[in-house]
Amino acid sequence: MSISTLLENYSEFRHFHPVDDVPHNPYKWAMSIDLDACSGCNACSVACYAENNLPVVGREKYLHGQAMHWMRIERYWDEDGREFPDQGAQFLPMMCQQCEAAPCETVCPVGATNHTPDGINSQIYNRCIGSRYCSANCPYKVRYFNWYDYPTTDNVWPAEMNQQLNPDVTVRGKGVMEKCTFCIQRVTVAKNNAKSEGRLVHDGEVQTACQQACPTSAISFGNLVDPESRVHKQWQVQKVELDKDAQTKDKEEGGSDLRGYRILEELRPYPSVMYLERVRETAI
Amino acid sequence: MNNVFDRRDFLKVLGWGGAAVALSGCGNGSVENGEETVVSYVETNDFMIPSISVYFNSTCAQCDAGCSITGRIREGRVLKVEGNPDSGINRGKTCGLGQAGVQHHYNPDRVREPLLRTGNSGEAITWEKAYALIAEKMNGVSGEEIAFLSGGVSGHLKVLLGNYLDSFGCKNHFVYEAIAPAVVRAANKKSYGVEMPRFNISKAKVVLSFGADFLGAWISPVHFSQQYAQFRKGADGQRGVLVQVESKMTLTGANADRWLVVRPGTEGILALGIINALGSHGVALSGDIAAAVKSYNKDRVSKDTGVSAEQIDKIAALLKTRTPSLVLAGSAAEGYAHGSQNAAAINLLNQVLGNVGKTVEAAEAVPFPQMAPATGNTVALKTLNDGLNAGKYKVLFSYATNPVFTAPGVMKFQDNMAKAGFKVVFSHYMDETAMQADLVLPLDSALEDWGTQVPEYLATCAQINIQQPLMEKLHANTRGMGDILLALIKQRRAEDYKKFDDYYAYLRAAVLQNKGALGGKAIADDDIFWNETLSKGIIKLEGPVKALSSKASVAGLMLPAPVAIDAQYPLQLIPSVNASLRDGRNANQPWLQESPDPLTTIVWDSWVEIHPRKAAELGIVEGDIVEVTSKNGSVKAQAYLFPGIHPDAISIPLGRGHEAMGRYAKGYGVNPFQILDAVFDKETGELALHETRVKVSKTGSRVIVVKDEGPAGGSQMGKKIAARLPSDKVKLSEEI
Repeated sequence: MSISTLLENYSEFRHFHPVDDVPHNPYKWAMSIDLDACSGCNACSVACYAENNLPVVGREKYLHGQAMHWMRIERYWDEDGREFPDQGAQFLPMMCQQCEAAPCETVCPVGATNHTPDGINSQIYNRCIGSRYCSANCPYKVRYFNWYDYPTTDNVWPAEMNQQLNPDVTVRGKGVMEKCTFCIQRVTVAKNNAKSEGRLVHDGEVQTACQQACPTSAISFGNLVDPESRVHKQWQVQKVELDKDAQTKDKEEGGSDLRGYRILEELRPYPSVMYLERVRETAI
Repeated sequence: MNNVFDRRDFLKVLGWGGAAVALSGCGNGSVENGEETVVSYVETNDFMIPSISVYFNSTCAQCDAGCSITGRIREGRVLKVEGNPDSGINRGKTCGLGQAGVQHHYNPDRVREPLLRTGNSGEAITWEKAYALIAEKMNGVSGEEIAFLSGGVSGHLKVLLGNYLDSFGCKNHFVYEAIAPAVVRAANKKSYGVEMPRFNISKAKVVLSFGADFLGAWISPVHFSQQYAQFRKGADGQRGVLVQVESKMTLTGANADRWLVVRPGTEGILALGIINALGSHGVALSGDIAAAVKSYNKDRVSKDTGVSAEQIDKIAALLKTRTPSLVLAGSAAEGYAHGSQNAAAINLLNQVLGNVGKTVEAAEAVPFPQMAPATGNTVALKTLNDGLNAGKYKVLFSYATNPVFTAPGVMKFQDNMAKAGFKVVFSHYMDETAMQADLVLPLDSALEDWGTQVPEYLATCAQINIQQPLMEKLHANTRGMGDILLALIKQRRAEDYKKFDDYYAYLRAAVLQNKGALGGKAIADDDIFWNETLSKGIIKLEGPVKALSSKASVAGLMLPAPVAIDAQYPLQLIPSVNASLRDGRNANQPWLQESPDPLTTIVWDSWVEIHPRKAAELGIVEGDIVEVTSKNGSVKAQAYLFPGIHPDAISIPLGRGHEAMGRYAKGYGVNPFQILDAVFDKETGELALHETRVKVSKTGSRVIVVKDEGPAGGSQMGKKIAARLPSDKVKLSEEI
């Protein structure tokens, strides 16, 4: 395709995310997280440190807001003015929502962050120049910047500790933005295995590190375009549609009694993570 | 990813793995000795393919729950641990603490050489010299003059240790755990006839938990978390209801449908009040129980505990209509001078509700009593401490415990320890106790050592967990505890143990000797059976089941009235147990230091939780450095305003405040163990952890609290971020 053809017939080639006419094929990785099962225990977060070579920044840098936790647990309190939080707290595992129309992608001056064909918002470390526009534009605050060269910083990976580093994951240097990748190194292995066997990745073949650790199995991960996948079925039952900025079910009178929702959907980033609302007993 | 692997390849790998690691396990340094040469990847073991991971099963040693793990190994290095799906305890899952096990293994602050004290420094010596020194010091010492202090031990390590001490006629094995559920064990024994029954959370429709943090740090949290997830989905579509009663919100409390704050120490009163209310809701109570709870009417109980009469009624109604339920007595209820009584009153609720035999079930025992876990308590520490103070012991051993850090300051354990003639500490780090030793013997990490472990809480069946090296040892001069004990026992009974070159050989012989009983009847070949055992990582057994006694008794049940507020020390100190840091043994693992406390989101430091109302009274705002003073000392830490705590209590987490141990532990936070009052449970003599009374004063300085929570605090600012639905609106049975 020449550039002139592209420019002259732009309306034909123009590609929106999400694409409703040509869905991702054969893979669209997505997640669903059941907040009624999530206990807020932080196992997912530590598992992510272990899998993805996340640096421990230490007290001082944490104070400066430089923590590198790709997966974090947010904790909210009820805001109805009761003296005691007598219905507990609300926990929310928050990581990159792998938006279909990611606000971070459009602002990158060098195209370091972009969309993969299987629906993951990728970050190309050696293309990143550290402008941090993406982080400023992310509504979920899930992009983390390397303010320091952690591999050479004292006590981040001192001798022996560096032997734990996962060889499948790049260790990032100073000046680079990073974020949750949906454990793309695991996805890649599964895809390659499937390809060499002439099939598609089947459901459950690949687990993200957070999902694998989660003691309450609150996290599901899989291929949204595979009708057999658990994630696909969950999204379908919950009537959450990837390419909507407001779900049809929510327009019902009195609101929907289905638990599925996406965070800040109205901003139109079309996130790939569906949360299931926490439930609280009415009889007590 | 690793759950889907080729079984046959896996066995082949482990067949080699077992043998290869066994060789390296005994001699160590064979390359240095010239017995072996370093071979490049041109000639590797056939399982060692660059860039391809292999997986070995072992057992997590970060706490005593006994979760089975699968280690991912690449190019000879262990990279990550995952749960082993075949274990009934953790079913393929892990907690954050377990994930951080690799940071224990690769820790830069591990002790690498045996160290002998000369003045104030340690001189590196050889193992031969260390063993000779122990033999010399033990020479002519009688059994009564030896004390062996350890954390919880089980399996063959316990067998060897027992035999070693027996060879001296020594009966002084003190098993100490700083935050064990010792009072609850004793109360369970009385109520149900066993110390640790099985709690079937997933079968219960209502769980009423009195301070049992079963999702965080209580007994077997990964197992309970899975049960909890099933409980929430409900067996027949009816979602389980969790009611948590405590004075300081735990992680479990934060997940409750109803979190009830009680005046500290009145948990037992509330339990009796609920029994009384159940009686008025028409639940049949036996005569003696009815008489015992007669005076615990709603109004009185409400006044004593601070829980409204209406709420007590609601709980009783719920417990009556939704059966079976499950009532749990946890660490918050047992931490008082009347802790046994609290626990007994709470257990009585299970009896009254008919839960015994349904959700409180008998668990199998491991059929080999010699290997059953020796569980710890604080009575053991107290007895040892008194003995040390009286100068009874010439030789003191300490393994897998850090009493100088965890003993209440008022016990003066450090001073008393100095009175022992010769102090040997087996340790991974130069922790506070190792700093006081005459001889420090460096241990292998749990990921490079052999062992067997029997969990105290057996989730689905009796089982023996196998611990095997996931990689070669990192340091040439560390040793496995089993190897050390074997070497020591050979000094005493050389003839009996000479055929075992090392602990691996001992374990293998021990397992094969009993092959039939361990599930190997049908397997003729010893090697095949052994390799299969290693590849599974778990030996599942049929154990004897002792039926629970379901006879409720109220004999001796006497609950004291709530204590009046002390004018000088008006607040109750609740030392809280955080799921990651527990009693502080894992504080040198940076992932855990940087993993936010789930409720306050604070990292890398200690804090004082104080209710906003009390804080306003005292003029305290977030970040104020406050001094918390008890009769036995004081600590200074940042204040955090926390709504989930009784206004007459404050809470400081345990586990931080190390003065030694390593770069990630030392100097971060304060150690509330140091200021605890020496109050003991009247029945069991256990240290009452929640009985310390304190006052709080401002020091005048203020810091910015280092936490994950943003400037909006716990507010969602009107957005739908973490959303919630009432239970009568959702249809869980229609979900996937």
